[in-house]
Amino acid sequence: MAATRSRSKLLWDVISYVVLVGLAFIAIAPIVWTFLTSLKFEEDIVTRTMQYIPSRITFENYVKLWNQSGYPVLVINSLIVTTTTVLLCLLTGTVAAYAFSRFQFKGRTQLMLGYLVVRMFPAVLMIIPLFIIMRQVGLLDSTIGLAIAYTSFLLPLFVWMLKGFFDAAPKELESAARIDGTTRLGAMFMVVIPIARNGLLATCVFVAIAAWNEFLFALMLTTSQGSRTWPVGLQLMVGEFQLPWGMLAAGGMISILPVIVLFAIVQRAMVAGLTAGAVKG
Amino acid sequence: MATLSINSVRKSFGAVEVLNNIDIEVEDGGFLVLLGPSGCGKSTLLAIIAGLENSSGGDILIGDKNVNDVHPKDRNIAMVFQSYALYPTMPVRRNIGFGLEMRKVAPKDREAAVQRAAELLQIEHLLDRKPGQLSGGQRQRVAMGRAIVRNPDLFLFDEPLSNLDAKLRVEMRTEIKRLHDRLGTTTVYVTHDQVEALTLGTKVAVMKGGVIQQLADPETIYDRPANMFVAGFIGSPTMNFLKGTLEQGDGGLVLRHAAGTLALAGLQQDVAGFVGREVTAGIRPEMLDSGDGPASLTGVVDVVEPTGPDTMVIASVGGQLITARLGPKDRPRPGEPLTLTVDTTAINLFDPVSGNRI
Repeated sequence: MAATRSRSKLLWDVISYVVLVGLAFIAIAPIVWTFLTSLKFEEDIVTRTMQYIPSRITFENYVKLWNQSGYPVLVINSLIVTTTTVLLCLLTGTVAAYAFSRFQFKGRTQLMLGYLVVRMFPAVLMIIPLFIIMRQVGLLDSTIGLAIAYTSFLLPLFVWMLKGFFDAAPKELESAARIDGTTRLGAMFMVVIPIARNGLLATCVFVAIAAWNEFLFALMLTTSQGSRTWPVGLQLMVGEFQLPWGMLAAGGMISILPVIVLFAIVQRAMVAGLTAGAVKG
Repeated sequence: MATLSINSVRKSFGAVEVLNNIDIEVEDGGFLVLLGPSGCGKSTLLAIIAGLENSSGGDILIGDKNVNDVHPKDRNIAMVFQSYALYPTMPVRRNIGFGLEMRKVAPKDREAAVQRAAELLQIEHLLDRKPGQLSGGQRQRVAMGRAIVRNPDLFLFDEPLSNLDAKLRVEMRTEIKRLHDRLGTTTVYVTHDQVEALTLGTKVAVMKGGVIQQLADPETIYDRPANMFVAGFIGSPTMNFLKGTLEQGDGGLVLRHAAGTLALAGLQQDVAGFVGREVTAGIRPEMLDSGDGPASLTGVVDVVEPTGPDTMVIASVGGQLITARLGPKDRPRPGEPLTLTVDTTAINLFDPVSGNRI
């Protein structure tokens, strides 16, 4: 009996490890492959026989990308768009999430549902109306316009996530703060937000990554080098008669750097934030 | 310091009425306890006094100022919450001084005030810790420090001792009483613990279903409860209710119950209108003693519960269970017959139909 049980447990362990290793491979392999490609000479990339590990290494792709293709401008544009999006969400979403979490007002449920419904439409559906609106208000082909477009579909996510963190902060704390002499907003800034800090950080990182990586809206709403973001810029490097694999790979590697750095900095706070409220205490 | 007047305060959530015409006056320096089972509306009333909730009608006056439309921060009150509600991100020092900080008191004066409050509560050594590093009792003290540091007109306590273990609860109860004696600030204290109510209050309001059942000083509440709910809610073990018929005997009134009669000499009530009718006699367990006397009950011992200083004996008197608080040496055995003498001067008679004291 005991032997069978331990054998079936072993079998389960083996199966779960195989599945996990398989999934990890699927997730990591493309990144490793991109990294290796970015270090290869152009003539080593397209070869008759597959070369997994490059026999010689070069940083030429990175240098060429940075100096000749206007990639720095793309990265800076992306940074501006991402920062603006996060700031917009932070300014409007925090107050909205707090109101949803704490007040019972008419139409509250409908409004929250509305926020969710916006997320249910495919992005493609919103692009054409957004394009027309942006053209009419003169925000087409601008980083601010793009940031506003991102906010329109990231804000609902931001508000819903943050509402969860605000819900987890005990209401008695605000009562105490209000008796101690703060206004409602004062209680939110001085007491609730410091408690929900990790959650706020996690939500911001989430929004930042989504804005940083976004491609479709950026492709439609920007037309010039002056406001293009890096995903669009990379895509436009693919020409009719050339496919600069090495530079594309280098661009990919550079663009995931900020995400990795961001994660490294806030990882602890983010994990704490995402699991907050999961365990009481 | 100030008086507190609660005038015809009502509160309803939709169709549900949680407070029904509450009228209470608290004198300057008084200690009002709102006592009742959960859901009786006592915490809601406290929240209305604090200004955290709006009433549906009626007035709250602190001193002679109507505060209906005054923000909590401008009512000059301080509150201690059941969960203590300490700001987890701030050290104890800032927690206590937060109210002063918000009122723009100069840092030097603030520091001095915090120090004084901390000394009073013996928590000086904890000032630089965060609330998460404190034990339950320490948090309780910090919460009280935050309340007293501002010298408010009114202290509000919302079940402050419920989260403490039994021993600490008794200690902190004494501490609160000492603090009130020393500071003399008008206080409203919400609890469901009748011992806290009786030991702390100068005035106790027993509430049920949003209605005040009785508002009186603790002695009156204990000795002459207004109805059977108050009688049963106050006291541990609870008051015995003995059903019977009130009759005019040879030597005075008697209660004829299932197992005989009980002479009611020295009764403190005017019950003339109830002669010949069903009544319920409320007898506190400590009004019973073993042995025979002019007024006595006989029954059979059912359960014996020694508690140390007392022995609780539950006996069946004509089918009705009666609890008696006997001396530590009294140890009857279950199944034995038992005669209990009754101190009839302390008996309360209730109308079994309305439940009210006759």
